[in-house]
Amino acid sequence: MATETLKQFHRLPQSTYVDALRFLPPLSAFDRYVVVASFNSDSDETSIEIHALNPSTPPILTLQSSFTLSSRISSLKVAQKSLQNPLIAASTFAGSLHVLFPNPIDVSFESEVSIPEKTLHLGPITCLDLQENGSACVSVGEDGRVNLISVGDSGLDYRRIFDSKGLVSYTASRWASPTEFATGGLGNSLQWWDQRRPGGPVSQFKGNWSQGAASGVVHSIDIHPSRKHTCLAGGSYGTVFAWDLRRPQQPIVLSGIDAGEPMSSSSISESEVWEVQYDTFMSASNRANISSERVLPVMICSEDGILAVIKQGDEPTELLAENCAINSFDIDRQNPSDVICSHEWESIAFLTRA
Amino acid sequence: MPGLLTVYHPSGHDESSALVQFSSDSNTPIVYSLHHGLKSPIAPRLSISWSRGNSLRVSVFRSPETTETVLDEVEVGGKVVELKLSGEYVDSEINDAARWRRIAYGSVSPFAHLQNKKNAMAALSELRHSAPYDVDWSKYVLEYSKEINSLLGSRGSSPTSLIEDPKTVLENVEEPSSLKAAWELLEIFYADKQSQAWIPEQLVDWLADYDSLFSEQVPSVHLRLVEFQAELINIQAVEDEPAYWQAISSALAVGWLDIVVKLLRLHGSYQLNQLGNRETENGLVEAVAVLISKMPRMRAHLPDGKLGECYYNKSDFIKAWEKWRAQITKLDCSAFWLQCSHNHTRENLKLLLQIMLGNTGTLSSATFHWVELYIAHFLYISPFTSGLESMHALAQKCMQLKPTSSPHKLMRLIIGILGENTEVVLAECSRSFGSWMIAHATELLTAGSIQAEILLKEERHNLGGVSIEESHRLVYAQVLSSHALTWQIAPIYLISCVKHGVGLLEILLYKQPVYHSQVLLKNIEICRLYDLDSVSANAMKIAGVHHWKHGRNGAGVFWLQQAGDEVRLNRIAQKLFDFVGKSISDESFEQWEGLIELLGSESRTAAGLEFLHKYRDFKKSLQQVQDGILTDAARKAGEALILLMKNPSTPQRFWLPLLYDSLKLLNWQGRPLLNVSQTNLLLNKLQELSVARLRPDFVEVGMPAGALSSVRVALATNLGRAILEE
Repeated sequence: MATETLKQFHRLPQSTYVDALRFLPPLSAFDRYVVVASFNSDSDETSIEIHALNPSTPPILTLQSSFTLSSRISSLKVAQKSLQNPLIAASTFAGSLHVLFPNPIDVSFESEVSIPEKTLHLGPITCLDLQENGSACVSVGEDGRVNLISVGDSGLDYRRIFDSKGLVSYTASRWASPTEFATGGLGNSLQWWDQRRPGGPVSQFKGNWSQGAASGVVHSIDIHPSRKHTCLAGGSYGTVFAWDLRRPQQPIVLSGIDAGEPMSSSSISESEVWEVQYDTFMSASNRANISSERVLPVMICSEDGILAVIKQGDEPTELLAENCAINSFDIDRQNPSDVICSHEWESIAFLTRA
Repeated sequence: MPGLLTVYHPSGHDESSALVQFSSDSNTPIVYSLHHGLKSPIAPRLSISWSRGNSLRVSVFRSPETTETVLDEVEVGGKVVELKLSGEYVDSEINDAARWRRIAYGSVSPFAHLQNKKNAMAALSELRHSAPYDVDWSKYVLEYSKEINSLLGSRGSSPTSLIEDPKTVLENVEEPSSLKAAWELLEIFYADKQSQAWIPEQLVDWLADYDSLFSEQVPSVHLRLVEFQAELINIQAVEDEPAYWQAISSALAVGWLDIVVKLLRLHGSYQLNQLGNRETENGLVEAVAVLISKMPRMRAHLPDGKLGECYYNKSDFIKAWEKWRAQITKLDCSAFWLQCSHNHTRENLKLLLQIMLGNTGTLSSATFHWVELYIAHFLYISPFTSGLESMHALAQKCMQLKPTSSPHKLMRLIIGILGENTEVVLAECSRSFGSWMIAHATELLTAGSIQAEILLKEERHNLGGVSIEESHRLVYAQVLSSHALTWQIAPIYLISCVKHGVGLLEILLYKQPVYHSQVLLKNIEICRLYDLDSVSANAMKIAGVHHWKHGRNGAGVFWLQQAGDEVRLNRIAQKLFDFVGKSISDESFEQWEGLIELLGSESRTAAGLEFLHKYRDFKKSLQQVQDGILTDAARKAGEALILLMKNPSTPQRFWLPLLYDSLKLLNWQGRPLLNVSQTNLLLNKLQELSVARLRPDFVEVGMPAGALSSVRVALATNLGRAILEE
């Protein structure tokens, strides 16, 4: 296993548990902000906070504004309408959904619209995804409902597009295009949906998993805008795989328990992969190696404290191996060498790749 | 009168004679309000139990009469509320909970690392039949100690400005914690074996860092310097102020040489306009300052900014020490003193020389509490003190000279260590610094000391068969378990406890609310790390049943499948079949599709549930048959029907509906789809069903009245046709 040299790495202890974090799309040319979903165990308070990031050595996070919620956050996403201000969407374990609009001048929370609990889902919203342009959300839950929420100027509207009445539980969701999205669930299953063909999933993926992998749960999905036919998923037992809609029965296993073929991939982690994202940072040598046949490089974070980049047919590159779980991470879109991640032990880490 | 119990006086005038003073505050009840959100009326039924940590779990019940009258099903019969009581972490001086957790998190990896090393070495020594403790081990312990020490706060000062303010005598450092001070003491005496020869010098450094801690209880040199610094801005000629000379002599007595020299250079004779007429005076001040900065120190090196000359070797040191003292004596007898016109300067500089020469009386008056005097003894009277016994004797002597009524906790710890009394050290650690300290400090206490090791590791009957070390770790694990964010590090400490660790770990895992998916996954992960398969299976069962009860059938089946729980899956299967009979037989498979996919087709633990999979396949092919007349599809449907009927997991109640649904297949135009043996099988099943109907526990399915007879006729016809064909 290769390890990558980091130009900079710092742990910034917090006094709250960080459930999720994201880089906020830039509000101006010079400022960088991080959105943090934090939980204060002493006061039982959950809040969405915006911190200004000063990437000095050591980097400094300065709290700019915070918005208090009633329940812990299960999913946090950010988006930006073209030439407009960014917006933040969050779902909670109680089942409510919140969309926040930070003020571009002083990043205070200008306005908030929300849908109360017990409306969209019975029980928690397990995952929420916001469209690239911020116009719509898809929310999924253990209750087997799939909801579409449109974010308009007047507020939020929602539409239930599917209800399995608890027969299927969904644990992850991700937009592929303005009309299509993917969901994931128990047993390492994935579903593909198309709003133009309502009534149920258009395509189901249930790979011919071996005993071990079939008992996994998908925690996170990513779809690259340039390769919409490939759905990348991460879940239990360090499993990271890609599902190509054109070859729906054969998953491309990037890491974890294999789909039967021995010796074809190595596993970097043995426990839950909490988040997967396509890695947009590429050095010149890497760029030359990208072929359209291969899955693009993927960054993952896991329960056993691994932050790594996986490339198909290559040794995974380990960025961090921590003593505690890494709950979530985000790659800065403007400076893809910068990554921020949240540790289970109440801290945030900031790293810059060389 | 001693020993006399006070009688309660209603008038309350006799409080002074109470033997134990009660603070009246603690008697005031604290009122907490419950936010249960239930509509009144609420029956006065409450159930109260302890929850995690300092929380109470209060269950509020509605009275049964009212719940009956409320038709709205959403209205629940009661609510469980958690109530957090205040007053956390009373055992530790660190009252900032977030900081405390940071220390707890940080100490996990050094601890786990050391335990791994210990286990590895124990395994190795078993192979080699040698003692497990050697040089390597003390190296690991020191590494461990340093890592823990760095967690407790940094020793370094805050970044100072480039332009040094000559009037800032004391550097601004972050508030030291007595926890760190205590840990460093333990490190000096137990962990740092290689620097044992320099313990006195290490104690000098230690006091320089932590003297301010004593200021809370007793006056100290640090306090005197702080006070003097505050005054310094307003003083014109420092050398006329007694406070200036007191500050210098105190700082010199405890060896803060850099501060002393810095203060001496503030002397008025250094000012350019004074230099002409105070030349001799200035020369004397400078001579003393130079002597001070040249003081020989028996240590390997000095940190930047500290003064003195280091000698690694004892004989070199003795030579330098004697030379230095000779220089002091020479200066003391110098004739220049007579030419010094400034009285204050002359007398006080002479006093400084006395301190350096080790005059007991001067040292005693320059210091405040016995630890400072003790350090002064090391510096100026007996720099060669070594061995705990002689150090202890010296400490006793200093304590007699400077008695304290209520010794500071660090003083008690020092006495415990010097007295070579492990039990006292343990008691002091647990009393003053809490469970974290003692759980981590035992590794230092046992390092290289067989006596301490026997004391700590011996299994004790009065502790329930565990050793002192284990019992402290268990207590610490308990503290960790009581908090929602730290419970997941408790397993690391529990697993290091041989006797009761695993048992308590199982209890801890069983107590977690596994119906939250995140907690369940964490639980499974911990079980995976420590090979607790049965515990994780139970957690999955609990979660599965919870999901099932709350209508999330898919998740329920999934987790029960993971747990391999046939019994419950069977029960669920029966319930699901009731449901299937109504919905699946029609048109919408979409909802079921996901669940059926989840069950998988292979022979996994699915109890009767794999029936659903086959049933779906059969229904699909039957649907195709109905769409168009395709013999091939019909044949497939027929095969699926036989498979279903053959399968023992197909519930009896589905037999008749299945056959009735496939009447079309039985009456297939052209040639019969089923051969003789297949038809016989179906007839047998039908017969079995007729017999079963006579039993009292038979459940009738809602089928058309003539269903049975029409199936029988169709089967008979098919049998006839099949016989003819063959």
